[in-house]
Parts: sequence; structure tokens; C-alpha cells
Amino acid sequence: MKSRWLALLLFGLVACQASESSSGIRLPMGFIPNIQFAPFYVALERGYFSEEGIDLEFDYSFETDGVKLVGAGELPFSLVSGEQVLLARAQELPVVYVMAWWQDYPIAVAAPVGSGIETPQDLAGIQIGIPGTFGASYVGLRALLHSAGLTEEDITLDSIGFNQVESLISGRQQAVVVYVNNEPLQLNASGSPVNVIRVADYVDLASNGLLASESILAEDPDTVRGMIRATLRGIRDTIEDPEAAFEISKQYIEGLDQLSPADQDLQRAVLAESIKFWKTDRPGYSDPQAWENMQAVLLEMGLLAEPMDLAAAFTNEFLP
Amino acid sequence: MTALLPLVAIGVALLFWEGVARWSEIPLFILPPPSAIGERLTRSIADGSLQRHTLVTLSEVLAGLALGAVSASLLGYGLAKSSTLEHALSPYIVASQSIPIVAIAPLLVIWFGPGRISKVLISALIVFFPVLINTIVGVRTVPTELYDVMRSLRATKAQIFRKLEVPAATPVLLGGLKIGATLSVIGAVVGEFVGSDQGLGFLINVGNGLYDTPLVFVAVITLVAMALVLYGLVAMLERKVLAWRIVEVG
Repeated sequence: MKSRWLALLLFGLVACQASESSSGIRLPMGFIPNIQFAPFYVALERGYFSEEGIDLEFDYSFETDGVKLVGAGELPFSLVSGEQVLLARAQELPVVYVMAWWQDYPIAVAAPVGSGIETPQDLAGIQIGIPGTFGASYVGLRALLHSAGLTEEDITLDSIGFNQVESLISGRQQAVVVYVNNEPLQLNASGSPVNVIRVADYVDLASNGLLASESILAEDPDTVRGMIRATLRGIRDTIEDPEAAFEISKQYIEGLDQLSPADQDLQRAVLAESIKFWKTDRPGYSDPQAWENMQAVLLEMGLLAEPMDLAAAFTNEFLP
Repeated sequence: MTALLPLVAIGVALLFWEGVARWSEIPLFILPPPSAIGERLTRSIADGSLQRHTLVTLSEVLAGLALGAVSASLLGYGLAKSSTLEHALSPYIVASQSIPIVAIAPLLVIWFGPGRISKVLISALIVFFPVLINTIVGVRTVPTELYDVMRSLRATKAQIFRKLEVPAATPVLLGGLKIGATLSVIGAVVGEFVGSDQGLGFLINVGNGLYDTPLVFVAVITLVAMALVLYGLVAMLERKVLAWRIVEVG
């Protein structure tokens, strides 16, 4: 079946792209080169992927594009946030989450210190800026509101793009939806300290991890296991020696070594904050309750029409 | 019969698309067949979401088109009449066209807020250049002997503008407006992509985020229809305004 539609001229370009990296694996990261991907840079640099017979190549395309390529069977893996797995499966994309990387959902609401906005209940009646009403930011905000018995009608929500720092400093927004490991550090460094209301403190949601196509799970489970093993080794090394990971990352993040010492320290802080989300006694393990919670949030938001078979959406079977 | 040819062509294309999509079993999220898009279109209209988002984008497009066209016409006239002004500003105006609109769109959202103003400004910016250039060309193509005729009749500057320059420049100006009308749609959608919770650009973002590809197609087709209608309206205006010219040519 796959070969039939692959033959279509319309998908010639996609096929060409896939054939370019036929000897290796192209991994959509869902974001630009960033210090939070340090575990992958470490694992690649130290040869963990090549030890598994994997020639890894990074692809910094959009998260949803990566998921679609995995769903189409064009790529075997992608990095995704938890909600994307359920949204994709609801549209019948044959994808499975195989390794939890972030143990907690990294979304939060940040508001200036002294604003009195410190808990989810304090969000009632205020103006909140969000990158857009889709994706992890929106899901996280809705989960946070839900935990306080609030709905979107209780706040004024502005879609501001990825301009949270500028919008909060300029006073255009009373609070903004952020990634815990990123914007709050920038705001604090720029002299605008913020209170951070973390989603993870109120509800446990399935977070970022490794997505695989159903076809590779069935046809090449050894590669899946190898991919997970190498990634977990990179995560472990980064947690154990963040400074070494930072130095390695300079080879993969253009301009990182050109930053001023202060800005490099900020990036080190981003890595240190990210590492807090990666520490766990059970590396890679997906907690079924986190998936139940995620499904409940998506159903409440109306993004899922009906409950799905969660056992098919994630698996711990390929963990070492 | 000739008038029906475009309809026949689109009908054949849709049938081919439907056939290929069904025969090849391409997953819906990669390439939905026209029937799936039609079904999604019906649902979007039934729940009112398509009309709501279309009206938002249309209002941004019309405001951006008006703002861009008026400001470009005024500046274009000034540049056409003053070589000093043209030499002073042209390098910057031309250079401004090399700035990717997607790069400055986030800045406009920061400066002017996430509301409709930033989208209108982005739309106006993208309309500005073609209208400006066509205004300059239109005014400059007025034959000098016609100026001589007007001056020999002791026409004032206002009369020369009204009776000679405006009619002479209008055909070229409307040509620029036709290009601007289609570009204004792109401008508004770029703004909505950057930060918005309404409009057809937002609907495309939602469709992508939910892997609802038929919804993406519904929004894109609506945008195309909007651009075609705007283009058609300017073409109608052109025929009406330039009726004297057609009669003259005839």
C-alpha cells in the first residue's frame, strides 16, 4: 500500500528527502537547535548512536510536521510533547510514544513578582498572553485553569506569538504562558523577576519524549531499543556532567560559543533547569496515569471527541 | 461554451484528485480527497466557525488594502513629481522590499499588540510596494505634450491633477491595486500565523495542530476564494472607471 502512494509524483520530494538519509535516521526535534537537546548532542558526539548502528541526523522542523512524517512512515522517530500523540492518534496516525524524556510537563504561567498572581486561583480575571491557542502551551494552561475550577471564560486570553518576555516586560500582558526552563530565566536575568505557576505542581501530564511509527515497532524493534538506549545514555551523561554537555553542545548550536559570558551563563541555567525535568528513578518510563490525565484534559478542551485506547498510544516495552 | 471551460477544467481536476486519493489510499492527514474537504467545509459552515474566521480575516484584508493603497498612492505621486524626493527615498523603499515580512511580523505584534492592528499593518506593508511603483509609473507615463496642452489652456495644478494625471495614471494604478488585492490576503494571514486567536490563518494553525488536514484545505480554499473575489472586484472597478477608454479604443 505504501509503495503505491509513494510512487505518486506529488510525494516525489518527500521520497527524495527520505532517500538522502537512507543510511541513517533523521530525527525531527520540533524546535530550533537549543541547549535543551544537549543529551542528543552528547549521545551523538560520544558515539552512543553509532554503537547502536544508528547514523543520526537532526531535523529542526516543526513538531507537527515531524509527527506527520512519522505517521506517514517516512521517518521512524520524532521528539514530541505528550498531547501530540493523542491528537495524532485521534486522526488515525499510526504512531506510538516509546520513551518518556521529560518527567513533568514543562509549561507554566509567569507573572511579575509583586503582582499577587501566585496560584492558579489568582489567574481569574487577568489578561494572559499565550503563543497560540494550540499545542503544549494551550493544553498546559487549560489544565492549570481546570485544576483551579476555572475556564477560559474566566480569563482574557491573547495570542501573542513567541513574544512572552517582551509582552510581560512591556506590561502588555499581566501574565504569560511559558516553558519553565526558558522564559522565566530570561525574565529574571533581564531584571524582571517572576512568579512561576507550574502546571506540573497541580496535574501530572504526559510530557516530551520519543515517538515511533507503528511500522518500525513491528519491523525493526532492535533499532527502537537501540535508539532508546543511546538517548538514555545521553540523558544520563548530561545530568552527571552538565558542563561537559554544554561544551559539546557548542558544536551543534551555531552561535552558542559566540555569546557573551552572561548569555552563556543564561544558557547554562536553561540546561540546569531542564535537567531537573529529566531526573527520575525509572528512565524512559511512561506513567499510565499521566496519559489518563492528558486524555481527560484534551476531552475537556474538546480537542478529543471521545476516549481512545491509551494502551496503544504509549508503551514501555522497548525500555532497557 | 467557452465560458464553461474553466468549470469543466476544475471539475476534471477534482475528479482526478478524488480518484488518485482513493486509489492510492493516501492517508487523510497527508492528502484528503475533495469529498473529505467538502464534508469538513459543510461542518465548518454549519457550526459557524468558517464564517466567523472569514469575516475577521476579510476585515483585516480590507483595512490593510485601503491603508496600503492610499498611503502608497500618495507617496507614489510625490515621488513621481519630485526627483529630489525620489532620489532621497527610493533606495530605502527598494531596500525595505528585501525584508522578509515573516521576519518583522513578530516585531509588529510586539509593537502594536496582538489585536487586529498588527495584522492590518502587515497587510498594508505587503500591498504598499506594487501600488507605489504603479502610481509612479502611471504618473510618469503621462505624455509631456498633454501637460503643454493643459498649460496652454491655463489649467491650474489642481485641474492638471484632476483632469489629466488621475485619468492617465488610473489604468496603471488599478493594475497595481489588482496585485495588491491578492497580496493583502497573504499579509493578513502572515500576521495571524504569528499570533492570533481568530481568522483563517489561525484556523490553518489549528488544523495543523490537530492533524485536521481537511480543515487546513478548507481555510486555504477560502483564502483563495477571498483573493479571487477581491481581484474580481478591482477588475470590475477597472472596467467601470475605464469605460471611457474602452469606448475610445473601440
